[in-house]
Amino acid sequence: MRPPLARAALALYPPSWRARYGAEILALLDDSGGGLAAAASLAWHALPAWFYPPRHLHDRPARMRASLATALVSWSMLTGLGLVFAQLTQLQGLAPAALPQIRWAYAVFDVTLATSALIAGLGGLPLWLLMLRRAWREQRARDTVYLLLPVIAPVAYLVGLIVTTRLAGGASGVSPGWFGVITLAGFAAAATAAAGPGLALRRLQPRGPALRLAATAAGVSAGVMAVAAIAIVIAVTSLDLWARQFAGYHHATVSGIYLALVVATATVTTVSATRGTRAALARRSAP
Amino acid sequence: MTPRELDLLQGTLDVLVLRALSWGPKHGYAITQDVAETMGVRLSAGTLYAVIARLEARGLIEPLESDDRRRPYRITMAGAEALAQQSERMSKVASVARERLSTRLGWAGA
Repeated sequence: MRPPLARAALALYPPSWRARYGAEILALLDDSGGGLAAAASLAWHALPAWFYPPRHLHDRPARMRASLATALVSWSMLTGLGLVFAQLTQLQGLAPAALPQIRWAYAVFDVTLATSALIAGLGGLPLWLLMLRRAWREQRARDTVYLLLPVIAPVAYLVGLIVTTRLAGGASGVSPGWFGVITLAGFAAAATAAAGPGLALRRLQPRGPALRLAATAAGVSAGVMAVAAIAIVIAVTSLDLWARQFAGYHHATVSGIYLALVVATATVTTVSATRGTRAALARRSAP
Repeated sequence: MTPRELDLLQGTLDVLVLRALSWGPKHGYAITQDVAETMGVRLSAGTLYAVIARLEARGLIEPLESDDRRRPYRITMAGAEALAQQSERMSKVASVARERLSTRLGWAGA
């Protein structure tokens, strides 16, 4: 008999842990009987199993692939949020209040966003080319499309953007409603572009130096992007506090939601990328 | 302390499991039975498999092939060395404790 409580407690463990020891534990509970105490003990030990997963259960390439796919999507979302920030301020040619922290925040944002994109692009390029070549050679049409989405989605978005601004734009640009549509479409395009390689990673399951390079580059890129996120937070908070008349910053609620999104995506990006980078570096030092 | 050595305070459970396996390969239930019979301690499934996972990660025990869900484990050479070292340390601690109790309290021991 498998005590249902103990079986529920077993579900709290990491998947790799359950896959390795789950059947054995159920067999032990069959032999020794379960109950509340057994379930409580199992549940209690699930916590350290998450924090300190046994090293022999690590599937490092799988960890790197999963972290890379998550970091890619969240990094794209964060970049999109950064571009909205830039669109609402710098690209409109508006001069913010002459506060040094805002000027510095803009400068830091520009440099870090460009650096982060460069690192991510250079670090991920070998893996992307490797997967593309394999998908092409093995005639995996779906994977080829997934891998080409980072090119297809932005191009399609830009074409749509040009057509929309020509048809719906006036002398002073598009209306706020159309701006919202364009922004949401931009996020959808970024998510699609990022999800493509993520799906290809899951299906092709690459390993080796190119994967480790991409995972390491993602960690560095995420670290740099976190600085960009901090710059956004400083700039938007400063605009909210000291230049509320500028570019609609009198809507503190909108700014608050925006900042919460920036912090959330920056956190997911940093945590995922760090986990992937740790797996990449741990593999190098493994015996 | 090398990673394969056991911490004196936290390694007691590890020692109990290693000691149980030092008599030959055993699966989870057999280990709990052995520990209960010799030490009077009933290890729960959660506690036992936390120890098994830790010992396996350190290379002190290894699983054996099994068609059954009850997978047996055996102690490795590194595990036997770690058990010997830890037993020696615990023996010294016990010896010093007995000596001091005997000197200060006149306790003769069992």
